[in-house]
Amino acid sequence: MKNFKYIQPKSLSEVKKYFSDNHSVLYAGGTDVLGLVKKEVYNYENMIDLKSVPDLDKVEEVKGKGLKIGALVKISEIAESEIIKNKYTALSDAAQKVASPQIRNMATLGGNICQRPRCWYYRDDYACLRKDGDYCYAEEGENKYHAVIGGSPCFIVHPSDTAVALMALDAVFNIFDGNAEREVPISEFFVQPDEDVYLENILKPYEVLTSVFIPEQKNKVSRFIKFAERDVWDFAMASVAVKVEKNGNKITGGKIILGGVAPIPWYDEKINKGISGLTLDEKSIDEFSKLALQDAEPLSKNGYKITLARNLIKMILSEI
Amino acid sequence: MSTKFIKSKFWVEDIKEEMMAEVPISVVEPWQKDKELKYVGKPESRKDAYDKVSGTAEYTFDKSFSQIAVAKTLRSPYPNAVIKKIDVSEAIKNKNVLGILTPDNCKDNDWYSGTSKLLDKKVRYNGDEIACIVAETEQDAEEALRLIKIEYEILPHVTDLEKAKLDTAAKINDHELKPREYNRGNLEEGLKEADIIVEDKFSTSVAVHNPLEPHCSVVKWDGEKLLVFDSTQGIWAVRDTVASQLGIPASNVRVIKKYMGGGFGGKLECGKYTVMAALLSKKIGRPVKIVLDRKEMNQAVGNRPSSVQELKIGAKKDGSITAISHNAYGTAGAFPGSAGCSWPARSLYKCPNMKLVDTTYYINAGKDRPFRAPGHVQGTFAFESIIDEAAEKLGMDPIEFRVKNFTAVDPDWNGPYTSKLLREAYIAGADKIRWKENRKKAGFGGGIVKTGYGMASQIWWGGGAPPSYAILKLNWDGSAELVSGTQDIGTGTYTILAQIVAEVLEIPTRKINVVLGDTGVCPFGAMSGGSMTAPSVGPAARDAAEKMLSKLKSAAAAILELSEDKLEYSEGVFSSKDDRSKTADFSKLFGHFREGVLVTQGAREANPEGYAINTFGAQFAKVDVNTLTGKVCVKHVVAAHDIGRVLNRKTLNNQFHGGIMMGLGFALLEERVIDNYTGKLLTTNLLDYKLPTIIETPEIDVIIVSEEDNKVNNIGAKGIGEPAMIPTAGAIANAVYNAIGVRIKDLPITPDKVLNALASKNN
Ligand SMILES: Cc1cc2nc3c(=O)[nH]c(=O)nc-3n(C[C@H](O)[C@H](O)[C@H](O)COP(=O)(O)OP(=O)(O)OC[C@H]3O[C@@H](n4cnc5c(N)ncnc54)[C@H](O)[C@@H]3O)c2cc1C
Ligand code: SF4
Repeated sequence: MKNFKYIQPKSLSEVKKYFSDNHSVLYAGGTDVLGLVKKEVYNYENMIDLKSVPDLDKVEEVKGKGLKIGALVKISEIAESEIIKNKYTALSDAAQKVASPQIRNMATLGGNICQRPRCWYYRDDYACLRKDGDYCYAEEGENKYHAVIGGSPCFIVHPSDTAVALMALDAVFNIFDGNAEREVPISEFFVQPDEDVYLENILKPYEVLTSVFIPEQKNKVSRFIKFAERDVWDFAMASVAVKVEKNGNKITGGKIILGGVAPIPWYDEKINKGISGLTLDEKSIDEFSKLALQDAEPLSKNGYKITLARNLIKMILSEI
Repeated sequence: MSTKFIKSKFWVEDIKEEMMAEVPISVVEPWQKDKELKYVGKPESRKDAYDKVSGTAEYTFDKSFSQIAVAKTLRSPYPNAVIKKIDVSEAIKNKNVLGILTPDNCKDNDWYSGTSKLLDKKVRYNGDEIACIVAETEQDAEEALRLIKIEYEILPHVTDLEKAKLDTAAKINDHELKPREYNRGNLEEGLKEADIIVEDKFSTSVAVHNPLEPHCSVVKWDGEKLLVFDSTQGIWAVRDTVASQLGIPASNVRVIKKYMGGGFGGKLECGKYTVMAALLSKKIGRPVKIVLDRKEMNQAVGNRPSSVQELKIGAKKDGSITAISHNAYGTAGAFPGSAGCSWPARSLYKCPNMKLVDTTYYINAGKDRPFRAPGHVQGTFAFESIIDEAAEKLGMDPIEFRVKNFTAVDPDWNGPYTSKLLREAYIAGADKIRWKENRKKAGFGGGIVKTGYGMASQIWWGGGAPPSYAILKLNWDGSAELVSGTQDIGTGTYTILAQIVAEVLEIPTRKINVVLGDTGVCPFGAMSGGSMTAPSVGPAARDAAEKMLSKLKSAAAAILELSEDKLEYSEGVFSSKDDRSKTADFSKLFGHFREGVLVTQGAREANPEGYAINTFGAQFAKVDVNTLTGKVCVKHVVAAHDIGRVLNRKTLNNQFHGGIMMGLGFALLEERVIDNYTGKLLTTNLLDYKLPTIIETPEIDVIIVSEEDNKVNNIGAKGIGEPAMIPTAGAIANAVYNAIGVRIKDLPITPDKVLNALASKNN
């Protein structure tokens, strides 16, 4: 690890000035970014700690509208929140499944959403595409944990559990660009590798995700389910978040987002088209789940993810 | 003379060792079955529990000195290359850089059976050592390493075992690895006699020890003398390697290991890092610390070799096995090593005809090291899987089939065992897990989560052997110090040795201080491997204590002017059998001595002639397999074993829990992954190399079916460290098959394999 400077800005507007060159990075809980510098994936010279900026760590209910969660709110706080558990269950489920208790106590929501990929080539000393090299080592290499859809030319999966849940909940992100704040719907936040192979989202290095707004989920139920090889301290092999409105045992509208299968939380067209009108019985769910990932192009070692994701859809729908 | 020399022969980690040993001529009588013991066998808490829990225990990793400098190693980024030029000029410019070692300094330092050097210009794997820099801080050393400029000639590499088998594979090491072949009877004849034949192929991944405490050493010179603190399972091996690598007398090297955070076999031999630290420390005249990081630990300090095992078994309708063929190959890395794993097939059951072949191939990867029951863990998984397949084909219960082929003698040479309670283990284990009631036909029943039961047996050595010695010092106040050159690597050796001494001298364990792991003050003691420690050092401790008791008795007789047979001893006091008022306690005895300390030396006695000494056991697993996710969840493991006498129920349970969890990790999670294209290691941390965590821990029951094995040694105990792990993976794999009706033959049994297997079963 190379030496870096640790900087504590006092306000949001102060942040941008530390980004005059390309050697700074935002620092929240540090659970990811410290790993990156320790492994020398990047050699940042300045770490700009957002924890010293006031008021980014609040959870606020906006009556009748929804919930605003500051980017610096800890994952453990989200996991334990009764409001989130009752009204935004998918996010609560996801937060509880992140990493391990120790990491959840340090990790923030903003950091979880903006964390960098876990591809093992990327995290080690391979000069792959995402690190300005000219080759994706995973495509024909050890790709058991990689993307089955939306991958080319880089086959990472997005590592965040909370992002999958937030996408199902139609969250809106508030972003501060150094001068002003703007709102970006989550569906426009993440970036696929064919658009930009270096970044996972639209943020410029100095832009701060300040808070996440989740609209009120009236009459809707949401859930998140994750599957990993280990039940703790492990990333998703696949995950599913759903949000539905029901009439009896018929779904009248909703959304399904897949995690662990693509470089971004994945909105599968076919399955989302089919969800409205689905009857929640075993046979219909079984048929329905097969709509998912029909356009997937698995690599040599990750074909199982298609079955897995479809099975997780079955599991989550039969419990909803 | 009360001792004599013998040539001690014993099995340790798959290798038959021969060592000269000084053993007592008159042997201490083992404790008889009905003797009630006050200390031995009791669930005493560890002597070092407080130190460890409170954080005051100082591990090698914690050791420091003023003026200490830190060393770091440069490792090859390539799997196969020749170094054409090394330029260190930039690296040594920084004033904080204190010294450097390169291949040019190490021309006489042979390593890996002479096939390489401590630092070599030929690098054979990603992680092979190239240079070592010592600097003021770890960061200075790391930065300096980056400034070393190297010109490589990159050679073709091979990291894929199947490719390594081909004649066209890149040449890795000139030393030829010869297949090991074992024949008994006539395999072809045996197969002809058989009514059924089953044949299958199994494989297991390379597994890495990954103890919590990293491999590390702290070294300090005092004139010509070298002090080495090392996280090691073998202080003598470290002492001797360091001395010969540095060309100094062994007596000038003192190796100390006090507390340790695990080794599992990976710390049985001296590491390059220790020698490099010693050389650098000498050069700069300051103490040096060297600690491997997690990546280095996964690359460069050993592993359990991979295996591919082709097995064939013939059996008669009545269940008797007529023939076994085991053809195994695997890789132990880029240097001479062994991937052999056929011992279970050779020794578990009666079988007149067999052919076993073990072949090891080189690949460009880190060398193997013994890993908790080398060969047996992977061998038992495959062999006990095919045994289940044969039982199923015969329509027999797996236990019934095993009992049918039970052998009361070592099938290798027909010698009797000192004890073999394997059938008792089957009964006790089956009873506890309710085998008969619970186990259904394979793949039975519907539902998403399917439950299965499986079992596997275990054989291992572990009876211990001489040489091992212990010195006992008894003080005037009735406190004692036991000194032996073995080490407690976290298994509880400090505690059980104190219990043994306490038992003989009838003094509380808190008054017994146990000093281990110091070549400067201890007589030789067994390495902490091969499940050797307790059954080798324990008897030596008892011998020393018994000698002390005799000494005291003779003193008491002299002081009380009575003959020894008129004396009785209890809890530190001798009294006359005839006249209770005539007593002598320690203070009285010592009041008459000139010295304040009495000293005796004990030795491990010779093993009995004409016997095979082994541990046996069986483990039973209950698993849930989720057919939608492919996840195997182990719910319950019952371990029933014959290990002689239990010395301490708590430390015994610890060993079993740890062994079972390690077996579970091997069965379900752990796998070293190398990228074949670049030849580089991918599993360099504990996120990617998936050790099981507390959440994967099943309910565990440990049943010991033996009371004591008094033929083995004077404490009647055998080792348990390795037996605890050997059958776990086999039991789990058999349970998975029982649950889903498809056999996963390649470990670890990960969800993707289960899902793929279920898909092909349904098609
Ligand atoms: C062993 C391990 C296991 C894990 N398992 C899981 C898992 O199962 N599921 C899961 O979802 N995650 C998992 N994680 C990831 C973990 O959740 C993230 O490390 C954590 O959420 C990051 O939060 P942080 O606050 O520590 O972020 P930091 O490490 O501080 O930052 C992470 C990244 O986000 C950027 N960033 C942080 N905050 C902001 C902001 N407000 N605006 C803009 N950019 C920002 C930083 O610049 C940096 O690039 C795991 C991590 C580890 C180390
Ligand atoms: S998947 Fe992406 S990050 Fe991983 S090796 Fe390929 S290009 Fe690099």
